[in-house]
Amino acid sequence: MANHLRFVGRTVMVQNGDVEAAYSVLNRILTQDGLVDAVRRRRFYEKPCRRRQREAYEACRRVYSAEMSRKISFLARGIRQDPWLGC
Amino acid sequence: MSAVAWQRLGAAWGARIAGLCRGLRTGPRSLQDVAGAAKEAENRSATDLSPLILQRNSMRWDGKVYEEIPVAHIKATYNNTHIQVVSFDNRPLARTSCGTEGFQNAKKGTAIAAQTAAMAAAAKARGKGVLHVRVMVKGLGPGRRAAIKGLTMGGLEVISITDNTPVPHNGCRPRKARRM
Repeated sequence: MANHLRFVGRTVMVQNGDVEAAYSVLNRILTQDGLVDAVRRRRFYEKPCRRRQREAYEACRRVYSAEMSRKISFLARGIRQDPWLGC
Repeated sequence: MSAVAWQRLGAAWGARIAGLCRGLRTGPRSLQDVAGAAKEAENRSATDLSPLILQRNSMRWDGKVYEEIPVAHIKATYNNTHIQVVSFDNRPLARTSCGTEGFQNAKKGTAIAAQTAAMAAAAKARGKGVLHVRVMVKGLGPGRRAAIKGLTMGGLEVISITDNTPVPHNGCRPRKARRM
């Protein structure tokens, strides 16, 4: 980030000399912010048609996996209503 | 990008924001809320004027402020890793790369080569009297993590890690995709 203030953004201080933990924190922040994927994707040019296909695929995948995890957590729930209430 | 560049009101801000950054991964809005709350708290408690606003960050390494500590730039490409240790006013102190350590061609693009290059750079920097260093990493290559580890193994103490990977906002067109 050449045009920004240095050492403000994307910086992690090392606590108690634990460099590995600091690096993993930085890595986690960058991955969750989508930076690692963006940099890796920009290594080679992605044509607009391929880009549209990829974005559609990722949207479908996001919907599908959200619904599936919702279904699984519903099926695996512990606290249920008593089906025989009143009998 | 949640790690926004806050206005630095002195070194106190930087360390505090970096401290807030750590472990607070709840999205951009809440980070800014926290920053805003911290700012409000500071303004409110600084109605007794001097101490809190003018109080500088008291973290010192060998008596030096954070801004005066040398920087180790690590450029981790896919085929090589360069390490240069520079003082805070951009005077060069040590420069090594995998090639200067005797590795050739494909072996330069490995983690072990990056680690040895970092250890050599750390040794040279120690010879010039550098003890603490802040690391700026550029690029996603195999030597990214290994170089930081090599700096620590070579005797330098890393106090902060910054990521300086260039992300163009749709600038130059990269080369074509492979295996067409």
